[in-house]
Amino acid sequence: MKVLAANIEDVFREAAARWTLIAYFCLSSIFILMFAAAVNLDVVNGALAGAKLFGKEMEVGGSFPIEKIVTGFESGFTGIIYGLCTFLAIFATAHLVPRMQDKGTIDLYLSRPASRLKLLSSRYVAGLLLATSNVAYLILTIWLIVIWKTHVVHMRFLLGGALIVFTIAALLAFTFLIGVITSSTGVSIMTTYALFIFSLPLMAHAKMEAAVSSEWSAWLIRGLYWVLPKTAEIGMAVVAFVSGGAIPEEVQKALAPAPFLSTALFGIGCFALAALAFKRKEF
Amino acid sequence: MNEAVVEVRGLRKEYRSTLGRRITALDGIDIAVRPGELFGLLGPNGAGKTTTVKILLGLTAPTAGSARIAGLPVSDPESRRSVGYLPEGHKIPNYLTARQTLSIFGRMSGMQSDAIRTRSVELLEKLQLAQWIDVRVKKFSKGMTQRLGLACALLHQPKVLLLDEPTDGVDPVGRREIRDILRDEAKNTGTAVLLNSHLLSEIELTCDRVAVLRAGKVAVEGSVDELTRPTAKYKMVAAPLDDALVAAFRESGAGVERVNGHLELSVENVEHLNALVDKARSSGVMLTELAPLRSTLEDVFVDLVRTAP
Repeated sequence: MKVLAANIEDVFREAAARWTLIAYFCLSSIFILMFAAAVNLDVVNGALAGAKLFGKEMEVGGSFPIEKIVTGFESGFTGIIYGLCTFLAIFATAHLVPRMQDKGTIDLYLSRPASRLKLLSSRYVAGLLLATSNVAYLILTIWLIVIWKTHVVHMRFLLGGALIVFTIAALLAFTFLIGVITSSTGVSIMTTYALFIFSLPLMAHAKMEAAVSSEWSAWLIRGLYWVLPKTAEIGMAVVAFVSGGAIPEEVQKALAPAPFLSTALFGIGCFALAALAFKRKEF
Repeated sequence: MNEAVVEVRGLRKEYRSTLGRRITALDGIDIAVRPGELFGLLGPNGAGKTTTVKILLGLTAPTAGSARIAGLPVSDPESRRSVGYLPEGHKIPNYLTARQTLSIFGRMSGMQSDAIRTRSVELLEKLQLAQWIDVRVKKFSKGMTQRLGLACALLHQPKVLLLDEPTDGVDPVGRREIRDILRDEAKNTGTAVLLNSHLLSEIELTCDRVAVLRAGKVAVEGSVDELTRPTAKYKMVAAPLDDALVAAFRESGAGVERVNGHLELSVENVEHLNALVDKARSSGVMLTELAPLRSTLEDVFVDLVRTAP
């Protein structure tokens, strides 16, 4: 626990001193302010009587129950937050391993009586906590603003944050693996972003498999689909979860456990490989 | 005799180049450092000093042989509970203050917060950094950073101190202070100090015993006194030292060299030396100094490197 506490303090102090933490929260605050300023709802007797988006009057056909409007808003924003938080989290934490592996720095960490696995795990937990703090800040603040403006308390929006942290956890394990192998922050960021983007179209793997001519291409696509994290499905699952039942059946399918299990396995596999590579690495 | 706290037996390390060629960094070295001993590790670049220290810290694995610290194999992270390490060119995170640095690395060494607080103040006062305790490391000079690195190494009161160029960037007064601290630690707490430095004079002034590595092997090992034993050379300061006297000395079979206004005499034995003194006195020369010359550690080091196979 002492090693973990020391690493958490180290990571948060570094984030604060290098302006990462401040930039991280400033960007999130800008998003929150935009959200707060853009949306103006006129609620009468628990129903939406009028709405303004970026100052523009929106047509409201009849009186919608405000709960439905809030659910729609929040599920839409969850999709945006999912991408925003994941990208910010990787950007803010990708340096944790490469910088630790710098000559003259790694000696200071490894000359302590903690195993390499403990050191890497503590670093990982510290990085994930940093990312989680930003997700929590973003989601909690938006949730409070919505309550303030509509008096509607929608717990699913809060819980959606847990799914975002789950994706960040899987991708961060991959970032750590690349960091251990290459000792490069730039390469870690680029490859993780590429992984996130590359795995999006794989959601349509069945259509892609049908479109390719050779058997091995179809196997390759299927293999990649099952090995790589399901960033698209989880993104849709976050939206679906926050929306409750008011979404198309196709999107609801994303809430199936398979994408989560395979993504979790991907994360665990990446972290295990990172730990193995770090243990065997000679400095 | 105390049991060694650093024990290296038949240690061998081979690296592979990108083309698959084997490079031998260590070729079966044996070293033992006992509690309270100040041990210097010398050698030219590439002799294997850094590799030895890296193996002792578990930063790299040996190809063959064994290394133990405080009785534990170095592959066991617990062995590092007994080690304080100051790496060469270390990079203490510059966003931390001295207090935060010691707090973070103290906890990584398994220390309790109270013990860290007490020991930090004590060490920073000893190393004359007390005023800088809440200043970020990025404001520190090189010498101050080096002293903070030493505080980090000493924080958990280790049984073994591994120091790589500890006085690098430190001014002469600071160097003497660091030397005194190392001697105090060795004498008062029985800490074994393994010093790895290119500054031979520093090693000569600090260490009790040294080992010189050459091409991955221990070329010579012994106490500083043994290695810098008196030679058959003497320094003679006298006036007037004219050419006739020098010629007379040479006629007697002595080797004579003029160095900075004095003579360096190579003689066969003490009788020969006394004969030269008699000759000088009978010529009306006034002697002001006559002293045996010792070879310095630098002489020993240079001789060893020059005679390398």
